[in-house]
Amino acid sequence: MAGYVSRGFRGRRRAGDGEAGRLPPGQYAEPGFPVLTAGPTPRVDLAEWRLRVDGLVATPREWTWEEVQALPRSTFEGDIHCVTRWSKLGTSFAGVSVDVLLDQAEPLPQATHVVASCHGGYTTNLPLEDVRGGKAWVVWEHEGQPLPPEHGGPARLLVPHLYFWKSAKWLMALRLLDHDRPGFWEGLGYHNRGDPWREERYWGD
Amino acid sequence: MGRLSWRLARVAEVRPETSRVASLALEVPGWVGHLAGQHVDLRLTAEDGYQAERSYSIASAPDGQRVELTVERLDDGEVSPYLAGEIREGDQFELRGPIGGYFVWKPGLGGPLLLVAGGSGVVPLMAMLRHRAASGSQAPTRLLYSSRTLEDVIFRDELERLAAAGDGLTVTHTLTRAQPPGWRGYDRRVDAVMLEEVGWRPDERPLAYVCGPTRLVEAVAGDLVALGHDPARVRTERFGPTGVQ
Amino acid sequence: MDEADLRLDGNHVAGLLAEVFQFDMTVEWSGCAACGARNQLGALQVYAHGMGAVMCCPGCGQTLLRVARGGGRWWLDLRGMAWLQLDEGARLPD
Repeated sequence: MAGYVSRGFRGRRRAGDGEAGRLPPGQYAEPGFPVLTAGPTPRVDLAEWRLRVDGLVATPREWTWEEVQALPRSTFEGDIHCVTRWSKLGTSFAGVSVDVLLDQAEPLPQATHVVASCHGGYTTNLPLEDVRGGKAWVVWEHEGQPLPPEHGGPARLLVPHLYFWKSAKWLMALRLLDHDRPGFWEGLGYHNRGDPWREERYWGD
Repeated sequence: MGRLSWRLARVAEVRPETSRVASLALEVPGWVGHLAGQHVDLRLTAEDGYQAERSYSIASAPDGQRVELTVERLDDGEVSPYLAGEIREGDQFELRGPIGGYFVWKPGLGGPLLLVAGGSGVVPLMAMLRHRAASGSQAPTRLLYSSRTLEDVIFRDELERLAAAGDGLTVTHTLTRAQPPGWRGYDRRVDAVMLEEVGWRPDERPLAYVCGPTRLVEAVAGDLVALGHDPARVRTERFGPTGVQ
Repeated sequence: MDEADLRLDGNHVAGLLAEVFQFDMTVEWSGCAACGARNQLGALQVYAHGMGAVMCCPGCGQTLLRVARGGGRWWLDLRGMAWLQLDEGARLPD
């Protein structure tokens, strides 16, 4: 979508020299952390907060806030990429690895996909492999601070190797299925998988 | 084949309004005129292809040819420091519009009018006031305008002149952060008591237009309805969290 | 920042909707499929960002319209809207 280049307009972003190789195609480095929301921010009482893993698992599990905090802590340090073209380089999140949650729930052999569902109704879908093997977390801290509500607190899914709409905010449950089920954006034009390195933004990319 | 196309606007004049606010007079080829309260979308492209789009309310009265925008510079903004800082006469950018017939006042709609502005939310309301004056409308109108300090009041002198014209307009300021010595006006955020004191009674059936930061707009709209005003006669234009377009 | 700060009006997506409908959609009327309320699209509550926009009923909060845009395409979900009225008078000029 070419446009008229306006003299003197640069935008806010700064791309350092070392960043070029870290940016997927079509992305720019954003020092801030833009808030993108498709609805009101859910307010979740920690006393009533639960995280569920169910569906095609041997043992459906549900954790309270205290229980999930007691699980082995895991930290992600790296880059995140939003389909709206900003990438935040060198950030960090902390929480629990999805592998730990799945180990406890024991996925059945026929489980191939997972759907994340969230307070407020947001959903996103992923192949099961995309949340296993150290690639996904449920996080409640960002850069050392509790995850703010506008960024998905109390806890969100984190799947940094895919576009950030897959890192569902206000996570409630992960349901394992033997089929795929497009989520909120995947059902409205956005790519089913969303690999930033292959620039999978929209249907048909 | 109606189509809202991108056109190339040229900056004819840059005029500072306050230390953070500037007005841009634009030449837009093929401009068909606008209604008071409408806005335009701007699209800025950088040399490396990066693009940003923003919407700005038109500040000028509909007079067929002129398009004026009034932009407040947000410190960590991306577009506003360019429009209310870097931009010079002769610069060009893409623009489409006018659009947004919902938040519009025309003399035929009459009054009485209640206009409530927070910060740069005064811009579309100023288009309405300029149009009202130019059209000779005597619709009784009250503007309630919230600013941080007196220095932040946009169009201050012009508002004084319009209010002195004796055609049924009153302008009430509230300065929420700091007031000059001897200030006897309001010094707090707009609330229901202020709206009741400054505004119209529900049985006077005013048309209300509220514009500015989302928080102010929602609080004022809620207060007006709670005071008994008809929700269908309260129109809002939220500017979002910063209150800057 | 509170999420309430991010809420906008239908006006905010006037340009985006004009790309699709070629009408000034902010003045057009819609019916909420959940509560039946009639509102001009300019009166709907909007959450919008680079991926797309969601327009909600100011009365009951039901999503009336979702729109996404990218790669030269637009996608619309109007399931929450019982009906939409378009008015010749709001057609955009040539």
